[in-house]
Amino acid sequence: MSRAVPLLAVVILGAGGGCGGGRDRYDYAASEGATRYAELCAVCHGEEGQGGLGPVLVDSPRTLEHLRDTIETRMPPNDPSRCTGACADELARFIRDGLRSDALACDGVEPSPRQLRLLTRREYRATVHDLFGDDAPALACARATDCAYRDGCVAGACEPSACNAHTFVFDPQGRALSTVHVAGTFNGWAGTIAAGGLALTRDADGLFVGTFTLPEGSSAYKLVLDEGEWVTDPRGTATQPDGFGGQNSVLALSCGDDGGDDPTVGFPAETRPAGFLFDDHAGAGVVTSVHLDAYLAAAEALADRLAAAAATRWPCDWAGDRGGCADALLDATARGVLRRRPTADERARYRALIVDAASATEGVATALHAMLVSPAFLYRAELGEPHGDGYRLTGDEVAAALSYGLWGTTPDAALWAAADAGELTTPDGIERHVRRMLDDPRARDLVGRFALQWVSGEAIETVDKQPDRFAGFDARVRAALAAETRNFAAHVVFDGGGTLRELLTADYTVVDEVAAAHYGIAGVTGGPRPVPYGDGRRAGVLGHATMLATQAHSDQTSPIRRGLFVRRNLLCHDLPPPPPTAGGVPDVDPDATTRERFAQHTADPVCAGCHTYIDGLGFGFEHFDPVGRWRDDEDGRPIDATGEVRGLEGLGTGAGATPYATVPELAAMLADSDAAAACFVRQSFRFTRGYVETLAERCARRSLTERFRASGGDIRELLVDLFVSPDFLERR
Amino acid sequence: MITRPSRRDLLRLGAAGALALPWLLRRDRRARADALTGGARRLIVFYFPDGVVGASQNGEPSEWHPTGGETGFTLPWMLEPLAPFRDQCVFFRGLSMGSTDAGSHPGGAKKLLTATDGGYGRSIDQHLAATVGADRPFRHLYLGAMANHNGASGDKHISYVGPGQTVPPEDDPRAAFQRLFGAGTPPPPGPGPGTDGDDPRVARRRSVLDTSRQELLALRGRLDTRDQQRLDLHAEAIRELEARLGGGGGGGGASCGEPYLDTTGIDGSTLYDPGHFPDVLRAQIDLAVQATACELTRVAVIQASSHTSELIMSRFADTPMYDPGFDMRSHQASHYGPAHDEARREFLAYRLQRRWWVEQFAYLLDQLRQWPEGDGTMLDHSLVLLCTEVCDGNTHLHDDMPLVLAGGGGGAIRPGRLLSFSYRRHADLLLAIAHAMGDPLGSFGDASGGPLPGLLA
Repeated sequence: MSRAVPLLAVVILGAGGGCGGGRDRYDYAASEGATRYAELCAVCHGEEGQGGLGPVLVDSPRTLEHLRDTIETRMPPNDPSRCTGACADELARFIRDGLRSDALACDGVEPSPRQLRLLTRREYRATVHDLFGDDAPALACARATDCAYRDGCVAGACEPSACNAHTFVFDPQGRALSTVHVAGTFNGWAGTIAAGGLALTRDADGLFVGTFTLPEGSSAYKLVLDEGEWVTDPRGTATQPDGFGGQNSVLALSCGDDGGDDPTVGFPAETRPAGFLFDDHAGAGVVTSVHLDAYLAAAEALADRLAAAAATRWPCDWAGDRGGCADALLDATARGVLRRRPTADERARYRALIVDAASATEGVATALHAMLVSPAFLYRAELGEPHGDGYRLTGDEVAAALSYGLWGTTPDAALWAAADAGELTTPDGIERHVRRMLDDPRARDLVGRFALQWVSGEAIETVDKQPDRFAGFDARVRAALAAETRNFAAHVVFDGGGTLRELLTADYTVVDEVAAAHYGIAGVTGGPRPVPYGDGRRAGVLGHATMLATQAHSDQTSPIRRGLFVRRNLLCHDLPPPPPTAGGVPDVDPDATTRERFAQHTADPVCAGCHTYIDGLGFGFEHFDPVGRWRDDEDGRPIDATGEVRGLEGLGTGAGATPYATVPELAAMLADSDAAAACFVRQSFRFTRGYVETLAERCARRSLTERFRASGGDIRELLVDLFVSPDFLERR
Repeated sequence: MITRPSRRDLLRLGAAGALALPWLLRRDRRARADALTGGARRLIVFYFPDGVVGASQNGEPSEWHPTGGETGFTLPWMLEPLAPFRDQCVFFRGLSMGSTDAGSHPGGAKKLLTATDGGYGRSIDQHLAATVGADRPFRHLYLGAMANHNGASGDKHISYVGPGQTVPPEDDPRAAFQRLFGAGTPPPPGPGPGTDGDDPRVARRRSVLDTSRQELLALRGRLDTRDQQRLDLHAEAIRELEARLGGGGGGGGASCGEPYLDTTGIDGSTLYDPGHFPDVLRAQIDLAVQATACELTRVAVIQASSHTSELIMSRFADTPMYDPGFDMRSHQASHYGPAHDEARREFLAYRLQRRWWVEQFAYLLDQLRQWPEGDGTMLDHSLVLLCTEVCDGNTHLHDDMPLVLAGGGGGAIRPGRLLSFSYRRHADLLLAIAHAMGDPLGSFGDASGGPLPGLLA
């Protein structure tokens, strides 16, 4: 059963008309056939059956039997075995009943599904930081032993060590010791200082102290007294058996994204469904025991730290009135952590955890620990409350969705206040807050992250390159190049023209000294700043190494992958995988250029069916080597980097091929195309909504796309529209 | 050739090498002989990407499959590393995955352990973890080596917790070691030293999980089916952790000795460096053996890389594949062309690579054979499955799947044979594995009817 939300769409978004059709709408969301169609058929027959490389299917006069028979025996052409039996039945029924112009017409906007969205790692990190981060007053200290485990005592205040450093402190408690040193996995368990043991020095209070830079990750170690007695670090919190019946101390250091103290360092890897570019797919996040182990440990460490400082963070008469203090603490924290007010039951449970514990510190730690692994914290809810014959998000849910959708983190006080004032359940109120939020630096950060994922650029940090040929392509350069795409996108959207056209065609980028040196751009020192390309070679993100290097092999370029990037990421043309017997990458051949070696693709008619849509897009990048630097020639051989574009608006559309000579020319064609605009809306929709759109959301997307085109491709306006669109607030 | 470090090497290897001695000595003790009631004690799945040198497009015969009769068969060069374990392996011909969804590599990876097209079902390892493995402190152990490289998408992973729902393996052996043996995991309750029942941290974790469980229950009622299923997984995870904390779950019996991990060559910067891939894989194998040896878990999956693998195997030093001047990736080599053509660089590399995977599997078997268990060795009481998502890497067919089942399964199976079928569903093998593990499952995936004949004792 699907419902349409009639009024707002037309009024607010100026949705295209259509005269409605019957009440009995086709349920695209529940149709198995629609899913199969999108996966197997849409690339050739068009998303809505409008035709392209394959014939028009909408309002097909064919009988169900004919359709099924055709699918079973001939479709998809490159592998008819892909869909037979029940699959062919479902698909045929969908083509007959779903691909009808009256069913596809829009007279409103369908609500989005209700869903739970597990916090991504970046969201978790930002949330914890914003909830409990740097506003914590520093603990006063006289010596390092007064501070938390990893912290040192600097000028009377506890100060965390650098992300890859650690302060060791050993209190001899009156024993006369000559030396104390640290031995562990990082120095080969050096038994003596001469052999590499990290020597602690005695301070004025008689403590042995030393701060050392250590490898990232987990290390085991012991303290060695007088080069003979091996002891577990009394300040350490984690240990593991040492093999001699005792315990080694264990230390985990990480310099993650935000440098230091990354609570997500032990979390399992994140994955996304194939073809989904973003890290926030709602269905992909599941909590297994591996996840729960990590959540529990991260929450425990955080809760311990917070509880140790409870008296200063939540000043209160903890000794005299623990119950009252518990109430005050819950008032101050519960809504932020749970992203809504706790229910009476929940509140009573947390209060009891504080009040019934052996000590206030233990109670606070337990309650915070529990809150930080509660489902309300780990998942953000887009469930809504019953409204009409569907659901509508609550003000708190809207606050969180806006905050994570535009800032990637937990709501600020103004959003909570707006939720309380009922401002977030009307399109006007939402729009006001979205515009306010877009002026905040956190929106820049999020747009940058979106853009890096949009160009599949995160892999720049890990993609393999041949170490001999690309010796300088190290972690520092890779990080600077990832930052380039993030900073560039933020600059375009917030400081520049703000359009998709500029993302694609800008004759400038935003680089720091390191990235500039990689590209051979002269005259850039220090941090990132806009720099004109000025050479007619690069254009917008199409000139970024985040695309050029990740869509290339370790030792050679890949015109195919770069061409597919344009098709999939920028045009949403999801070409089918190559047939099973497709050849692999041709050998590197000193007597031929990459382009010459790949030429057989278009020479062989079996390959040409698809590659005619791929290779011409990819060859245009041949002047960029496997790490994205310009090359005049390929090991002395001249490069032909002319290309051609076919089927820009859809495979099989348009009249033949349009040639281009440079990447900026290609970028301009893309920027002019309807397909790139519609695709950008789709990608933004996926990122914001957390799922792959179906035909059930076609009307919302039509409206968004029309508005996006009408605005000249204004990305800020698209972000506003995505949250004002009725399918955001209304749920099914 | 099995490249197994000698004892002296092991002692010398690794920063923590000097600490390894007690653990090594423990191997020489007779493991307890109690409670070995027949049936397989554990299942270890060893996956590698991109198939083998099977029958070529031009029709040349497979270089992988043994030839001959049920017992008088010959191992081809590619399987020679398994010669020392010939009597403890079952080889197969004619097992087919049937139709598969979504292209050959991803389609194969989805179906490999689920036996359903498109991965629309729980995989056999996760199923067994939830049934016969549910009383272990860790129901399931999923270890990877570069299996999440470059942000691998979900369809690169072979273990499915529900229809279409994969989980990621742990690619860092140090993190996995910490989770299994580290201080974060209190030992299960039981008599003797190490009982941690009075640890306030345990009490706290218990009440934290209890709170979480109640909240989950309240939330579940408001959700549609898909999200309910996700929360049910979450609830299962809570139950597993509660049992591990000694909430009456009977997770006892584990005696892990002094666990040991050789982390030579492994740190944050080398985890995804193909040159160190062999170190990482070796460490994960060692971990799987230790974790299952002391019964922390009964089900372990080791996933080496992932399908259509970009793993540059020509960077593996001290192997015949080594070629610092030329990057040969796994998937690239698998597209060696229509013929078994020794003039082609890809083909020669592909052969060497596939044999290297078999050597790693042999290393796993060898480790299992070094641990005494009951009246024999761990290998006698284990099932160890070697698998990959296609047969021949060039034709991508899912027929004649290159599967090897090793181990005696505690007497549940009869090893040392070559079993030949004609287009028999590989699901029947998975079903037989379930039976050998003590789960009398009626059917699994698209099994054609009953466990694979002739396999079970």
